[in-house]
Amino acid sequence: VYDTLKGQNFELITVAQDMLGEKATAQWHDRAKLTYTTLIDVHHRVSSLYNLVNVPAGVWVNEQGQIRRINHGTFSPAYPNTAYNGAGYAAALTDWVKNSDRSPFIWSADEVRAHIRRRTDDQALSVPTFKLGLYFFGKGDETLARQYWEQAQKLDPDNWSFHRQDWNLTEGLAGPKFNEKRKGIGNEPYYEPLGLPAARPPN
Amino acid sequence: VAAALTPAAARAQAATVLYDDRVISVERTLADPNDLWIPPADLQRVNGFVLGPRGACLKDDCTPVPQGDSKLRVTRGGQTWFNVTELARQIGQVFVADYDRGVWSFGEVPAARQDFVQGVMAPDFELPNREGKPVKLSDFRGKKVLIITWASW
Repeated sequence: VYDTLKGQNFELITVAQDMLGEKATAQWHDRAKLTYTTLIDVHHRVSSLYNLVNVPAGVWVNEQGQIRRINHGTFSPAYPNTAYNGAGYAAALTDWVKNSDRSPFIWSADEVRAHIRRRTDDQALSVPTFKLGLYFFGKGDETLARQYWEQAQKLDPDNWSFHRQDWNLTEGLAGPKFNEKRKGIGNEPYYEPLGLPAARPPN
Repeated sequence: VAAALTPAAARAQAATVLYDDRVISVERTLADPNDLWIPPADLQRVNGFVLGPRGACLKDDCTPVPQGDSKLRVTRGGQTWFNVTELARQIGQVFVADYDRGVWSFGEVPAARQDFVQGVMAPDFELPNREGKPVKLSDFRGKKVLIITWASW
């Protein structure tokens, strides 16, 4: 989709959220021939700034820097891993790039506000606590890093990124732990629905 | 004087501040078991606040700083110290400290986030691309942008 949109005053920025940086993401980046902007985010900076608690997430930003849509960690239930490559999302994106604020797929400021996650005091505190762990991890003190990450997870149990980054460090732990926690929430949606209108209105 | 020369006290003199994904070293702090007091000259470097006639200001958001000794500022032996943690409490900025190692990690300044949570403006950020070149979101102002976050895990 990007290839057809890039000539239309549009840019795709992908942000690889991984404290191991290029080391962890190179194989994924190399696999695709990338013509868009690919950034490395070792501090989970974009997630902290946009109050995101899972990946992938997609944010639409218009020419004036206003958010027009914000989807947290959404996969299509039918096609895991491909929601943002899926036909529905691509069509919506194409429509927005073409029709700007006339697109039915953009959200009003109120809708965007409603989708920005508000942090409680504990949830707010989880962010600098997680970063304290990152700092000690960078200093080579993984034990201390883990203590702060666990503290961050207690402060904001719904922040999946904290858990998944932590588990990822231990070989073989990410899969089982993920499934365990995933099961723990039962029928609660793990990702938010994309919330796209069911059908495109006629032009 | 003898107490100040113990290793623990000596270690407490220097501090590391984590804020806005930056690591800021502060050479000298006032020994205090609970709070972080820094030379006023270091304040802007630490959290972006500027001290002036209206107090401690981040752009137009100012917190008054009383004249003379107060919770926010004291003078000891000719040296003035500013209490960064007390400022944080007054403006609702959360923080967590590893006291033993003198590392203080601060959260966001709520007043600086209103453009985002109320005004739905996209917070700007600067991150390196694969070649290590810094790229800002605001470099693309005037274009529509889709930001996708992902992770290898």
